[in-house]
Amino acid sequence: MITPEIQWIAILPEIALAAGAAAVLLIEVQWKPAANRLGWVAGISFALAMAFTIVQWLTASDALAVGQIGSLLGFSGMVLMDGFAVFGRLALLAIMGLGLMSGWRFVTGLGRRGAESIALILLATAGFSIMIASNNLVMMFLGLEVGSISLYVLAGMTRDTSRSDEAAMKYFLLGSFASAIFIYGVALLYAGTGRFDVLGMRGFFSGVIVTAPAVILIGIALVIVGLGFKVSAAPFHSWAPDVYQGAPAGITGYMAAMAKVAGFLAIARILITGLPQYEQSWAPVLAGVAALSMAIGAFMALVQSDVRRLLAYSGVAHAGFIMTGLVGGTFTGMLFYVAVYALQLVGAFAIVAAVSGSASSASDIDDYRGLVRRSPVLAVSLAVLLLGMAGLPLTSGFVAKFGVFAEAWAGGFEWLVILGVLTSVVTFAFYLRVIVMMFMEESESDLAAPSTPVRWAVGLAVLGTVLFGILPEPLLRLAADAFPL
Amino acid sequence: MIDPGLYMALAAVLFTIGALGLLVRRNALVMFMCIELMLNAVNLTLISAGRALNDINGQVAVFFILVVAAAEVVVGLAIIVSIFRLKSTASVDELSELRG
Repeated sequence: MITPEIQWIAILPEIALAAGAAAVLLIEVQWKPAANRLGWVAGISFALAMAFTIVQWLTASDALAVGQIGSLLGFSGMVLMDGFAVFGRLALLAIMGLGLMSGWRFVTGLGRRGAESIALILLATAGFSIMIASNNLVMMFLGLEVGSISLYVLAGMTRDTSRSDEAAMKYFLLGSFASAIFIYGVALLYAGTGRFDVLGMRGFFSGVIVTAPAVILIGIALVIVGLGFKVSAAPFHSWAPDVYQGAPAGITGYMAAMAKVAGFLAIARILITGLPQYEQSWAPVLAGVAALSMAIGAFMALVQSDVRRLLAYSGVAHAGFIMTGLVGGTFTGMLFYVAVYALQLVGAFAIVAAVSGSASSASDIDDYRGLVRRSPVLAVSLAVLLLGMAGLPLTSGFVAKFGVFAEAWAGGFEWLVILGVLTSVVTFAFYLRVIVMMFMEESESDLAAPSTPVRWAVGLAVLGTVLFGILPEPLLRLAADAFPL
Repeated sequence: MIDPGLYMALAAVLFTIGALGLLVRRNALVMFMCIELMLNAVNLTLISAGRALNDINGQVAVFFILVVAAAEVVVGLAIIVSIFRLKSTASVDELSELRG
């Protein structure tokens, strides 16, 4: 009998998060404590997950230094503990921490159901975290669904507003559609290769030449479509503006950033690690999706009158920029970009929640008129974050854009880089429109000061945007070391 | 034995019916059933591929997808009920507050 090889360290971060979610629910049922107590439970499980992830990072770099790749395969190769997974976990955990802080007012405002939303946030993080760490595609699907289903519920958390329900419904229908497409792609890849594991697929293709690759090509296309939905890349982006607008503001940034990070890391792992022999087939498809996303996202964002729809369409454009980093078969630029963009996105939505109320689902652009007179700190922070997204030099967005464009240029996609630079210019137009409104115009109404956790979340996001713009080397080196097995 | 390829072709047809139904129908419950149809088409593909390859993994994967489908049913029906309470309709055409 073969004893299965179990390495608990490979999934300890997820265990910490899932146990935290279970603990929050049980404590709520048993003792009905104040939400702040539950916040401590969430904080402890966050800290534990972070600590385990750092241990994983050290283990992974030790094992690579002595060339013991085998010790990075947890659970007989079901779960990987490579730098790629660990980098993704760090990014997801950072988003979760900032998301909890910026959404805290929303969570406490839910009353008794606040515990449910804390548990769902922890569970979604655990799901997406196992998704990016899994080598087995069925496992990846399970992680994707644990994360996505938690996000559907979070989008509909304010049950009494019909907009929140509408957002949940749209997210649910199109998200499940995307999941079904993804798993059908996986099933076709399995039918073509007999493998579910990414590394096994790479081994399979390096050993045989497939004479009739139709099934495999359709499988690759369906996987790209399914994950393209999740990261809201055009032409699969139609759900994103509605969901971002309708979901409770306090939690939208977390939802958006989470799905983007996990989706892009999964795309990179499947295509670059698993199917490098088919790069001639998938790279042009990714380039086409990237070009469409950049163009549609940038031009649709120009005409939006709601800040959250504007951020959603700008997110479509950013999905295009991030995908530009993948067409050359490289991932360092993509990792850096998703990490800094996720930070900017969570920070920007924290400010949106502070301006329009954390459970609200309206955020008209007129609310930002003269924001600098009502709350100078929020206005300056939002300006820095928006300029970071636009890619102004000395912000992290510039370094990120430079990285993905350089990699795509080296990969031979010059036309895509030129299109990317042109659409970057267009993105400046709508970011500057918001900034001009905030600084140049008069305001009438008053604004309550943001709560302490929101201030911390926004402060950290702004700090990251500026710091990684001036001193990007540490994060860039981290991203370069975080290669998949 | 019937050729597993035929089952996979049938699964492809079922998947297409599900996907088209989701795009064409406007009732949330019917759209939801279309998603279930798509997932079951995936299951049929996995079973027949596992049979053709003489490999147990494909058939094991089906159990996981069944569980995911069940979880989706729970959340999806809850969302539909929640909307029905507010609006007394399950048609997605009535959901048109969010636009811009």
